Amino acid sequence: MKRISLFTICFVIFIACWVFLQFVIGGVISKPIPNSVIGMYMALVLVAILVHVSVEDSRFKEFLRPVYETLVDDRYRVRRLVLVIVIPLLLTGFSYTNLAQKTPPPGDPRDAHPTPPLELKYKDEVIETMQKAQNPYRHYEKDDPETFRSHVENGKKVYYDNCFYCHGDHLDGQGHFAHGLQPLPANFQDPGIIPNFQEAYFFWRISKGGPGLPASGTPWNTAMPVWEDHLTQEEIWDVILFLSDYTGYKYRTFGEGH
Amino acid sequence: MFRKVFVLWSILIGFTIFISIQSYTQDAPEVSAKGKEVYEHSCAHCHGIEGRGDGSAAENLLPKPRDFTRGLYKIRSTESGELPTDQDLFDIITDGMPGSSMPGWESQLKADERWEVVSYIKTFYDGFKERETPPREISLEGKIAYSAESAQIGKTLYTDLGCIECHGNVGRGDGTSAPTLTDAWNDRTWPANLAENWNFRGGTDTEDIFKRFIGGIAGSPMPAFEGDSFLHFGLSSEESKRLSEMENKDEMTPEEEEESGKLYEKMDEAVLVALDRAEGTELTPEAQKIYDDAMKVVAEKSWHLANYVKSLSPEKRPETAIGNNSLRSQYTVEELPIIEDEAWNTLEDSYYPLVGQVVIEPRQFNPTIDSVRVKSFYNDTEVAFLFTWHDRTHNIEVEENEDTGTSYEDGIAIQFPVKPPKGPTDEKPYFLWGGKKPVYVWQWKASEQDKITELTVKGVNNVTVQENQGDLNVKGEYKDGEYRLWVKRALTTDDKKDLQLEPGVFVPIAFSAWDGANGDKDIKRVMSSWYSFVLEPVPSSRRFIYPPIVALLSVGFLIGLRGFVQRRNSASDEAETEQ
Ligand code: HEC
Ligand code: HEC
Ligand code: HEC
Repeated sequence: MKRISLFTICFVIFIACWVFLQFVIGGVISKPIPNSVIGMYMALVLVAILVHVSVEDSRFKEFLRPVYETLVDDRYRVRRLVLVIVIPLLLTGFSYTNLAQKTPPPGDPRDAHPTPPLELKYKDEVIETMQKAQNPYRHYEKDDPETFRSHVENGKKVYYDNCFYCHGDHLDGQGHFAHGLQPLPANFQDPGIIPNFQEAYFFWRISKGGPGLPASGTPWNTAMPVWEDHLTQEEIWDVILFLSDYTGYKYRTFGEGH
Repeated sequence: MFRKVFVLWSILIGFTIFISIQSYTQDAPEVSAKGKEVYEHSCAHCHGIEGRGDGSAAENLLPKPRDFTRGLYKIRSTESGELPTDQDLFDIITDGMPGSSMPGWESQLKADERWEVVSYIKTFYDGFKERETPPREISLEGKIAYSAESAQIGKTLYTDLGCIECHGNVGRGDGTSAPTLTDAWNDRTWPANLAENWNFRGGTDTEDIFKRFIGGIAGSPMPAFEGDSFLHFGLSSEESKRLSEMENKDEMTPEEEEESGKLYEKMDEAVLVALDRAEGTELTPEAQKIYDDAMKVVAEKSWHLANYVKSLSPEKRPETAIGNNSLRSQYTVEELPIIEDEAWNTLEDSYYPLVGQVVIEPRQFNPTIDSVRVKSFYNDTEVAFLFTWHDRTHNIEVEENEDTGTSYEDGIAIQFPVKPPKGPTDEKPYFLWGGKKPVYVWQWKASEQDKITELTVKGVNNVTVQENQGDLNVKGEYKDGEYRLWVKRALTTDDKKDLQLEPGVFVPIAFSAWDGANGDKDIKRVMSSWYSFVLEPVPSSRRFIYPPIVALLSVGFLIGLRGFVQRRNSASDEAETEQ
């Protein structure tokens, strides 16, 4: 059997990486990856391949051999002819579709979880530094379970009076108004949300809403309301208790690395 | 060998059993603590701890969460007056009730949990325990498949049976009785908009719709078409036609008098049988025959009606006009079409869902406007838009009504940023009526159909009417539950506070709308967040110039490369031979 050339191996690896990113990671495992990101990863793969083949002179020669052969060797006349037709054709088609394309809509590059301010505020009142702020009712979970339950129950009431239209009955971001909002409301059933944030962070996001997002979160056209206009501090802390109680996820506590 | 066959067969048999269990109509299990637990965790905040529909969230909701203590269920596969089957309850809990706040629980509760909760909610109403015979289910036999003819027959029935009075001429829920309806719980209710079937509570299949006619929607004013409420119940189609014919005459001949009298007797007889049956009386074979014949006609008509209803709406909710689906105004060299122009029909609607404004008080928790649809043309100097949206009532002034409360004026507002963002990271104004960054708003009110007021808005309490008005050509109209609004404007104006348009540049756009009959006024409204639209440039002619150049260059490059390699090869060959 003929040995597979280094060039073919590299080519196959390159294509396999692309298929893996585009369809396996971006389809089976999670959501589609934007083309620009795939482009970046593929550039890395290309560099890695080039570095690998060019480390040794002989390997580089071996790598380029099929290319040379195709270009000059008379045994490969047919292959040469096909490539001379196919490559320009592909490029031409590509440039045509690019030019005839409809104007691409603007993307929405935003940071959904921007860095919070240093101080946690309710309206203008400073509660604590963001690092130190604690949910004042959290300690009842151990100290006085009954009081704790009543806070969770109150949080539930707050949630279904105010939040479920957007964040959903199931806290999954699919409330019956969610289809009319862009960006979509946060999904608290997503394992990447509650466990990654402190309760103080949620207090900040709930009390200040979309308009309170810092410049780094722009363009912050999210519909998340400013809840300090409607709710008391206690109600906000209670709804925060409810979110983790209902979903079963625990907030990150201060001290666990970032 | 034998082992393999055996294993294969067992898998196959196991699978068949699994499938048949899956699709078999099930009865709910015995009431258990589990059911109570699920109910109190997932349902009680709406339906109330005691099932009275008075959970803490119920206050803001309309339709109200179901009060389980009265045994009234809207979505059933059982005849009018019957309780639902367990499977009905299971299905509605699984799928939810679109167009209301009742969510589907398929993703959150496992099937056995849903069954447990079915048993539990049945305990709120004694009727379930007391019933001795299983409920009579609606027969789906004799389904008439969809065809244009069937839908056409359905259309006539739609008028004859009085659907029109509630659902309006073309089904948009704008019938004359629409503004006055209340349900069994004395809450206000609206006839379904048959042109937007994604908001039907009980599903959009022809079978689903058929069941709603035969079984009715308990608790709602929508009548069940069974027994005496049905037009000419007991007559065959021909007899029914003949009777209408005779009745439409100014004067009947004595023979006709007699004939129609006979038909009336026949109808009375059938209605009596139906009443007997409803009371649970055992029917004699003759009576049963009368009943069966009468119901055959009812079923036939209902299938036609269901086919007609099906024809009124798109299959499902249209895709939202976002991303690649965004509104693209179409270039034309001609004069822009006026509101009546057929040219509008050549464009597809861009669909923008609207939802209740729940950000600022007073909030709208129960919106009645589903969406606004937009089309647009532009030419070298001007742009024209056509906005359409459904509203069951035409309100042009403030009206007080003892039963239904105060209603206000209808309207719509189309919102743009005063300055379009320079790039995707440039901040847009606040989506709801602007903020620090102002928005430019076209506000249209139903009382002044042909006028738009241009506003500059910097937040709810900071609305200024622009000094320069009159840049816009406007025409509005209301017909059959639909508003149409046509707006034409120059691409650019001298007014710095207006929006300036340029082909190829995406511009943010957002909407607010008011259904006065639903209490919408000022900030209480339905709204959207930001979308964007573009005047789609005429495709660049460069697409015919560059590609051939690319082709030539790439062929040239390949030939050049070959030449280069050849030269180098021979050079190195020479070097080798020299050595
Ligand atoms: C009008 C719809 C709406 C309502 C009502 C609403 N939210 Fe939000 N919420 C949003 C949107 C939209 C986001 C932004 C998601 C994003 O930025 O990706 C959001 C984000 C959040 C976040 C930030 C999550 C994160 O990942 O950083 C929290 C916490 C939150 N909402 C809690 C609440 C609570 C609690 C309530 C009720 C008191 C509520 N929301 C009501 C729409 C809403
Ligand atoms: C956010 C509030 C809410 C929650 C939570 C909720 N429902 Fe409902 N439910 C409603 C509303 C509102 C209706 C009435 C809709 C209508 O009449 O159109 C309803 C109707 C129903 C109906 C009546 C269906 C019919 O045919 O008339 C059943 C059964 C029901 N819900 C069961 C449940 C169960 C079981 C749960 C918990 C697993 C639950 N609901 C949770 C709001 C809710
Ligand atoms: C007295 C007024 C009235 C009449 C007459 C009436 N309807 Fe309705 N209809 C309603 C109301 C109110 C609703 C909304 C029910 C609800 O969801 O509570 C409705 C709902 C519906 C639905 C939606 C069912 C669902 O799953 O949500 C359909 C389809 C429908 N009607 C068709 C018809 C047809 C066809 C006729 C004539 C045979 C008719 N209606 C006659 C008032 C009426």
